[in-house]
Amino acid sequence: MSRTLMQRLFEPRSIHEIAPGTGVIVYSALFLWTAFVLFPIYWVFITSFKTPVDVNSGPVYLPFIDFWPSLHAWQDLFVFDYKDTLRAYMNSLIIALFSTAGSVLIGSMAAYALARFEYRPKFGVIVMFILVMGVAFYTVGSFGVDWRLASASGIAVFVFLVMSLSRHFKLQLSNGDILFWVISQRILAPIVVVVPIYLMFQQVNLLDTHIAIILTYTVINLPIVVWLMYDFFRSIPFDLEESAQLDGASRLWIFWDIVLPLSRSGLAATTLLVMILAWNEYLLALFLSTSQAQTMPILVAAMNAGERGILWWTMSAVIIVMIIPVIVLAVVLQRFIAKGLLLGAVKG
Amino acid sequence: MTVILDNISKSFGQVRVLHNLSLEVEDGEFLVLLGASGSGKSTALRMIAGLEAVSEGRIEISGRDVTEDLPKNRDVAMVFQSYALYPHKTVAENIGYPLKIRRISRAERDTQVRDVASQVQIDGLLERYPRELSGGQRQRVALARAMVRRPAVFLMDEPLSNLDAKLRGHMRAELKHMQHELGITTIYVTHDQVEAMTLAHRVALLEGGKLQQLAEPKTIYENPESLFVAQFIGSPPMNVAHGRLENGTFIIGNDRIETGGNATVSNAVIGLRAEDCRVVGSGEGQIQASLFANELIGDHTLVTARVGADSLAIKAPKDFDGGYDSDIGIDFDREKLYLFDNDTGERIRRH
Repeated sequence: MSRTLMQRLFEPRSIHEIAPGTGVIVYSALFLWTAFVLFPIYWVFITSFKTPVDVNSGPVYLPFIDFWPSLHAWQDLFVFDYKDTLRAYMNSLIIALFSTAGSVLIGSMAAYALARFEYRPKFGVIVMFILVMGVAFYTVGSFGVDWRLASASGIAVFVFLVMSLSRHFKLQLSNGDILFWVISQRILAPIVVVVPIYLMFQQVNLLDTHIAIILTYTVINLPIVVWLMYDFFRSIPFDLEESAQLDGASRLWIFWDIVLPLSRSGLAATTLLVMILAWNEYLLALFLSTSQAQTMPILVAAMNAGERGILWWTMSAVIIVMIIPVIVLAVVLQRFIAKGLLLGAVKG
Repeated sequence: MTVILDNISKSFGQVRVLHNLSLEVEDGEFLVLLGASGSGKSTALRMIAGLEAVSEGRIEISGRDVTEDLPKNRDVAMVFQSYALYPHKTVAENIGYPLKIRRISRAERDTQVRDVASQVQIDGLLERYPRELSGGQRQRVALARAMVRRPAVFLMDEPLSNLDAKLRGHMRAELKHMQHELGITTIYVTHDQVEAMTLAHRVALLEGGKLQQLAEPKTIYENPESLFVAQFIGSPPMNVAHGRLENGTFIIGNDRIETGGNATVSNAVIGLRAEDCRVVGSGEGQIQASLFANELIGDHTLVTARVGADSLAIKAPKDFDGGYDSDIGIDFDREKLYLFDNDTGERIRRH
């Protein structure tokens, strides 16, 4: 039975093939989308080599044909303004590195605990803790009670209440609830907490310092790390750890020698994601830094507010510089993100 | 080394999964814990290993109370159903892991690893990673890792269930030979009664967290203590037919079978092994049935016959030929007949 033209074009011979007609459509769509995604990067790249005249006198697209590339924007950046650029660059590097290290370290430990131990906190106890601490804060704020005294007696009252009342509470939370509570911290838009965070660091005189931004980033990225690593640790068979336990290994050694090497790809992916988030973060950095601790996104944004108008060429050069570390990191970490690491652990 | 379970129980919250299990495993014995899933057999094994806390009772290994001891201090080695090989370590590193943890020198370790690897015939694979091995090879690595420590007791949790049927039969024989040669006390968990019968010195059959019968394979096959045991052991399982027992006469449909006793049980069951039945002509034999299907197995034909609502499997000669739904008779020797009380599941002895 011969096939009609339409069938030949759009019905594949087997389930593993793409029919020629479908192929043309699919690849055209993919090509268009790729061009759509890559063009802005290309545009920024060539703009950084344009003179102000080239930019202002209408669009030009092809270097050496449409316009003659010039290094003047790069000269601005690295010769005249190099101190500002370098400082923002170093700030971004330090903040991204330390906050990423912090959230990955703390977050993966939390995720491991959630993946391996069962927690059954009672809802009533948590409510009681919040109430007692609320009262303690209130007495400190309104009656000027010494905070050490207030917190010590608050803890004492809490412990007493737990010992006398906790067996009457029925409603128990599980690991799933804890995990959802953790991720809900990230669902909340950062804008709602930006004022309290600002006031808090103002109180302790840490505004415009690395430490303030590092701490803030570590905390806002923790939920992502916990969420991603939880799934990853869950995928490591428990048998492996039990076997190591029978072989005589201690809990810490099991984590170090069995669990961590097997989660390398998950850790790499998580690190990359968190690092990019920290590197690109704008809103919180805007509030927490004024000059000394300014990061790259702030520097870039500041460029459309200069007294000489928007310096598109310099801004493009800064953006190029800014995306380089992310690309390098992605290339370096990508070989760890390979799949199939767990193959052969269990079964045939 | 001996293992003694003294009245051990396990509860998860309100659910009791193991009820007062007591048994003694002798030095060098191969004991199989047999049961369906949920029977508590794996829980019992994990309690011996120390991976599961003991709710009640005590466990003794080599004369020492280990009930509260950590797994690593019990001198037991375990082979997991999933093998649990460390995927990022080579075969040699996997086998040598227990030695490395015990800070045994590299040279000493290498010798011992090579030694056990050759015992399970994987000496050529030492530099490979688990993912590069076949199922059977992984199984051998897991075995070697357990052997290398020379533990007091081997614990095995369904170690053969992930292999294909042919390899399973082969490994079964090797396992039995190896255990005999090493003489290490072994506790082996399985749901496969063929594995239990072939491997064990003694079988402990568990159901619903309770010990049903503890006996040598031959005894458990020939002298089951309850209907459950009778139907669990054997392939095909023991045939049962429901009826009533009046003064030692079992009445099923229009047939009356003299059992030789004098008991009266209103809800009774007779049990017959497939190999103890013979197909005879209609009107002959002791039970009248209709032929439901016959399957040529190779050395015999398995005939399925219907008696009322019950199906009986009969091993007939391989050249047996009978039409579907034709009437047949079933004959057997009276001493091969088992009697059970269907309400309690207990065996009715003829005295």
